[in-house]
Amino acid sequence: MTVIQSSGPARELTAESRGEGVHIRGVRKAYGTVEALKGVDLDIAASQFTVLLGPSGSGKTTLLRGIAGIERFDVGSVHFGDKLISRGSHHLPSERRGLSMVFQDYALWPHMTVRQNVAYAIRRQRLGATAAELRVVEALDRVGLSAKSAAYPHELSGGQQQRVALARAIVGDPPLVLFDEPLSNLDADLRERLRVEIATLTRASGATALYITHDQAEAFALADQIGVLNQGRIEQLGTPEQIYQAPATQFVARFTGLGGSFVGKYVGDRGGYGQVRVGEHQLRCVPSSTVARHIDVELLIRPTASRLLPRPEGWPTSASENLEDIEATIVDVAYRGRGYDHVVDCAYGRLVGVFDVQAWPRGTRCLLRIEPDGCLAFPAEDRATRSNSR
Amino acid sequence: MSTTAAQARRAADGEPETDRQEPLLLVGEAIATPARLTGDVTVRQSIAVTTWRRLRRIKPLTLFWLLIVLILVLPILLFLTVAISPSLLDQGTQAFTLSAFADALTGQLLVGFLNSLIIGIATAVISAAIGFALSWIVLRTDAPGRRIWTGVVFALLLTPSYLIALGWERLLEPNGVLQVIGWDATGLRGIFYGPVGIVVVLTVKGIPFAYLAISNALRGLGHEYEDAVRVHGGGRVAAMKAVITLLAPAMWSALAIVFAESISDFGVASTLANDSHFPVATYTLYNAIQAFPVNFPVASAVSWLLLVLVVLALFAQNRALRGRSFRVLGGRSRPAIRHQLGRRAKVVTTVFLALLLVTALGVPTFGAVAASLIDGLGSLAGTHQLDLSNYQRVISSPQLSQPLMYSAGLAAIAATVTIFLAAVCARLLANSGASVGGRILDLVLLAAVALPGIVFAAGYIFAYNLPVVNSLGIHIYGTTALLLLAYIATALPSTSRVLVGTMSQIQESMAQASRVHGSGAIRSWLSIVLPITARPLLTAWLLTYTATLLELPVSQLLAPPGSEPISVGITSTLGKYDFGGGTAMEVLAILSALVVVAVAYALFRFVAPAGWKNIGGTR
Repeated sequence: MTVIQSSGPARELTAESRGEGVHIRGVRKAYGTVEALKGVDLDIAASQFTVLLGPSGSGKTTLLRGIAGIERFDVGSVHFGDKLISRGSHHLPSERRGLSMVFQDYALWPHMTVRQNVAYAIRRQRLGATAAELRVVEALDRVGLSAKSAAYPHELSGGQQQRVALARAIVGDPPLVLFDEPLSNLDADLRERLRVEIATLTRASGATALYITHDQAEAFALADQIGVLNQGRIEQLGTPEQIYQAPATQFVARFTGLGGSFVGKYVGDRGGYGQVRVGEHQLRCVPSSTVARHIDVELLIRPTASRLLPRPEGWPTSASENLEDIEATIVDVAYRGRGYDHVVDCAYGRLVGVFDVQAWPRGTRCLLRIEPDGCLAFPAEDRATRSNSR
Repeated sequence: MSTTAAQARRAADGEPETDRQEPLLLVGEAIATPARLTGDVTVRQSIAVTTWRRLRRIKPLTLFWLLIVLILVLPILLFLTVAISPSLLDQGTQAFTLSAFADALTGQLLVGFLNSLIIGIATAVISAAIGFALSWIVLRTDAPGRRIWTGVVFALLLTPSYLIALGWERLLEPNGVLQVIGWDATGLRGIFYGPVGIVVVLTVKGIPFAYLAISNALRGLGHEYEDAVRVHGGGRVAAMKAVITLLAPAMWSALAIVFAESISDFGVASTLANDSHFPVATYTLYNAIQAFPVNFPVASAVSWLLLVLVVLALFAQNRALRGRSFRVLGGRSRPAIRHQLGRRAKVVTTVFLALLLVTALGVPTFGAVAASLIDGLGSLAGTHQLDLSNYQRVISSPQLSQPLMYSAGLAAIAATVTIFLAAVCARLLANSGASVGGRILDLVLLAAVALPGIVFAAGYIFAYNLPVVNSLGIHIYGTTALLLLAYIATALPSTSRVLVGTMSQIQESMAQASRVHGSGAIRSWLSIVLPITARPLLTAWLLTYTATLLELPVSQLLAPPGSEPISVGITSTLGKYDFGGGTAMEVLAILSALVVVAVAYALFRFVAPAGWKNIGGTR
């Protein structure tokens, strides 16, 4: 494991002032007839870590590359702080935007050593040779690769290569660092370790960070602020907690992790929660703002919101007494270390990722209880729009 | 609009002073600024600025396209048009006629065409068979000496066909090397001077193409297909049959490429075929242009016929590939196992390989080197002693040494310019999926690769001789400039193809990462793209240099009066029965090319930074 060097108090002091806000207004970008971005507004506060989350084709890569200056937006403006970066035909080239970037494929230059790769990024600062060397050594030290400074990229492992790319991105203390799915080419264990390094090193540098990924777990773990992109638009911008607990749209809810969904009719509010009639049951839920009485709704259930209970003898004793617990059957069980994830079938559909510390054998009949906080009600969409938004 | 007005406009648009004002506009403003004195001038000056604006919109890429059209597309199109419509280009009275084709399909011209067809088919079949056998032996057996064949194949690929033919001729001709040694070569000469010899030499040139096509496929073909046949009860022959079936697309490719190369060949046509009075299409085409008066319509019609054959061959290959393309290239394939040859098989393959080597390289090399060392070969004068007098003569006589210097200079310039253009082409081709322009370029270059060199040269003669061209103020016919242009145009298609692989391998993020981390476009190119591609660029340069140095058809037709490229020098010296001098020039030319290659790689090895050598090198 790499030792992450503490950056020291001097760095902390300057850190606050170093980051730069990013302000994006109405950007659009089309490739032929395909609209990749359909009008995006985004504000990123200085020194904040923002993650853009979206499936492939959502436009997140286009947005990031437009901010980097690798692509040009057709319409809309980009400001870094007060400085105009791009608007209309005016387009500041990448090299004059003063940012740095970690690429998905690392983009380490194969003809340069690790040290040369990292040093390349501070050439623009025109430091003296000794000062530059010090910075490079320090950056490599921070990612734990000072011993490899004379190696060439092809002599390193994938994780080490991405660490070099990270060192290159932070060596110049840039006001803005962009991350283009930097972990997607790494295996799970390495991904987790590098994620921690990215989070700590970037925050320590005080830079504003914009990170794109399609992995919701990565987004939640890293972000101060998450923007969920879908089909060229930002559907919701908020803290990880807001996104998870109060998703603005069905798409956001689905993309940030569901155990399953039921269909029902919204019957009203009680005790701070909404009430939804599903078959013979009445479930409590968090209604979205667009839900109204007597409309068909879809209940989107977070994996964390479902619990398994033993089925009492002679169930159902009296159906009127318990409207919340649903009779269910265990279909599959998977050991997850801390406990077990179950796949459960009930009359209204199938739920996955139902956790319990103990294993419920396959075929067991049980009761399923849904916690209202993780049960989100949205107006039912027709099948076509839903499959489209997946 | 004055500078300040421009600034005001920009300020009004809310645009800061940034790089979007490109240099051309700055020049335009600099010219316009002093003229701000009277209103009258201001108008003119605003026109000037508008003109600059327009000019500024012409991207470098547009200029590149213009160049491609001028040097590759237009000459050939004009030349091909003249067969159908002589009046359009002042070569006759008819606006539309097929009489040139009628001429091209009668008498000696028809004989030449049919000869080419038969020679092409025979060469293709024999080359594909030998190419397959060679691939199999080199890749699938432990035959001794198999390792040298990659080198031999590339040597053959680079050796022009006329040099191979000339080597054979020096041995067999009357008063040739064999006769001087005391052998009677009459019988062998009777066989070799004619279609048999022509097919032998063209097959030697065809083998590398067949070998590369088939061996690439065979290399990708894992051993599991053969294993599967054997496991399920098939014998050794059945396994071999399965492999041949799976290799069918590659075999078709080999046939098509060798056929197209053979009928396009001018080197053998102008040497061995001409000396044995066996007319082939490329030489009848050459004659039509060298004749007085020049018959461009007939030359053009012959070109059409050649092109039709080439296109048919490539089309047949395409059909064959589309019909049964076996996807055998996968990550799962296991490396093939080499067959341990038995004693008898080992003897047979060794004899086969040795014969092949002797025929392909041994005889021509021996012929040329021996001839160059015999004093006064081909003439009654001289002692017919073995010595270096021919070399002394070549080095001391400007008439004999000049051609090599001339060609070396031209080849170096042509290779340098070609590499630059080819890198741009390759870059465009590498993302050809994205743009229409890329696909058109792809097509143009593919067509140009298939175009026989002699047709190319004829197109150049014709196009740059047109009165229209002269009236445009372009007077480069009969100059070194036109020869150079033609060299570049002939080398560009294949060099681009060579570089496409490299250019498409560069990840786009390489340059993007450089831009993002603070380097401008030019600096990014110099510090990132150039070093990464240095080795392939150098290789491509050397290939282009060598090919241009020894190029024959374009040199033959376009050499300006008073200057002889080396290939023309060699053939004309030999034509004067100075066999010793001609072959000494030949040997010196090849040695000089080898020296250039060696020096270039040595320089790269010792001078280039360590990192540059990491790429593409073997670890």
